[in-house]
Amino acid sequence: MKVTNDIKATLVTYSLGSCIGVAIYDSVARVGGLLHYMLPESSLDKEKARKNPYMFADTGIPALFKAAYKLGAKKQRMKVIVVGGSQVLDQKGLFNIGKRNDIAVRKMFHKNNVIIDYKDIGGTVNRTIKIAVNNGDTWIKVSGKGERKI
Amino acid sequence: MSDIKSIIKKIDHLTPIPQVASKVMSIAEDPKSSMYDLSKVIIYDTAVTANLLKVVNSAYFGLPEKVDSVHQAIVYLGMAQVVDLVLLSASGENLQTAQEGYDLEAGELWKYSVSSAILARELAEKKGVKETHLIFTAALLKDIGKVILNQYVKDSFDKINALVTKQNFTFREAEKEVIGIDHAELGGMVAENWKFSPKMVEIIRHHHRPQEASISEFESAIVYMADTICMMMGIGVGSDGLAYRFHREVVESLELTESEFQKIIAGFVEKVKQLEAMMNI
Repeated sequence: MKVTNDIKATLVTYSLGSCIGVAIYDSVARVGGLLHYMLPESSLDKEKARKNPYMFADTGIPALFKAAYKLGAKKQRMKVIVVGGSQVLDQKGLFNIGKRNDIAVRKMFHKNNVIIDYKDIGGTVNRTIKIAVNNGDTWIKVSGKGERKI
Repeated sequence: MSDIKSIIKKIDHLTPIPQVASKVMSIAEDPKSSMYDLSKVIIYDTAVTANLLKVVNSAYFGLPEKVDSVHQAIVYLGMAQVVDLVLLSASGENLQTAQEGYDLEAGELWKYSVSSAILARELAEKKGVKETHLIFTAALLKDIGKVILNQYVKDSFDKINALVTKQNFTFREAEKEVIGIDHAELGGMVAENWKFSPKMVEIIRHHHRPQEASISEFESAIVYMADTICMMMGIGVGSDGLAYRFHREVVESLELTESEFQKIIAGFVEKVKQLEAMMNI
């Protein structure tokens, strides 16, 4: 997880697979943040969640937003982008981590009145996301299909 | 469809795996062998020895002092670990190159291969499988077929991709349909050509369909599982993405519950950063 107001910085998280990347940007405070979480719920392993809260949706997402607020970002101005959560074919039920990662972030945002401005979730593709802190420009790269600005 | 014979012929273009690899494997499988037998075999291959010492001295192992002999490396890390590291040093050449057809930059296929080998080894130990070196090596080399098929995948990517996105083919099934052979099948042929054991050949050939293996179903299942987890974590995943099938019965054959499955993921992601430190040398 990285949150910064350094306008020269470009934040990037590579190769998400079933993991999810959450990018946030406040254009007034010029604060950008990027989280790459792997699993939906920290209840799986409390000790790991304490050491690395960014591994789980339910501990990583609040940490991302809190870090951005500290730098002056405001929730109502925040642009929110969610990508990743791909699935292996025929992966159903509890083993479908990509889908559960997606449900986890949607649940949290619904509860906290956060609106997702852009999402690119699911399927079998592998994604990378990049956000420029200068102006919030965001790019998504899909392996085999190149990079596009959103 | 491409000329399959000419594809198979390209196996000869690969850098053959050094002899030291098969020698250390037979030492590892022989309960009577000693650390002296092991170090004697390794030191004759200077390139592998140099590589081994670099890896042993990397941050990944965090050893208290610099190791400058094979003997010392075995003392610190034990025979089993050193055997795996020799296999690692011996396999890198082909797998470290960029694979444009799979949209993998130089080093990405290598990272994927090493990560799944280490994870497969952990799973094997967890499940009490004795032949950990077999599983480690098979997981390490399972995608060797991609190195040959790369060019053909590049040329036919649009056709392959159309089958995957529109007709629910896995990437491997689409390779087979469009090119006439898939990377797992081709990998099995490479293993045969390199005179690997029938079990190793089978694990590589069936790493996406372990339930079809006949003499190594459990071992193939472990390699499959490690591969699936690496894919889900996005480790070295390219244009084929996650377009392979999830076989629940295979997960069940390994007696892995959903929570154990997630715990393996959680444990493994912590290691990947250290792994990078080891591989960037």
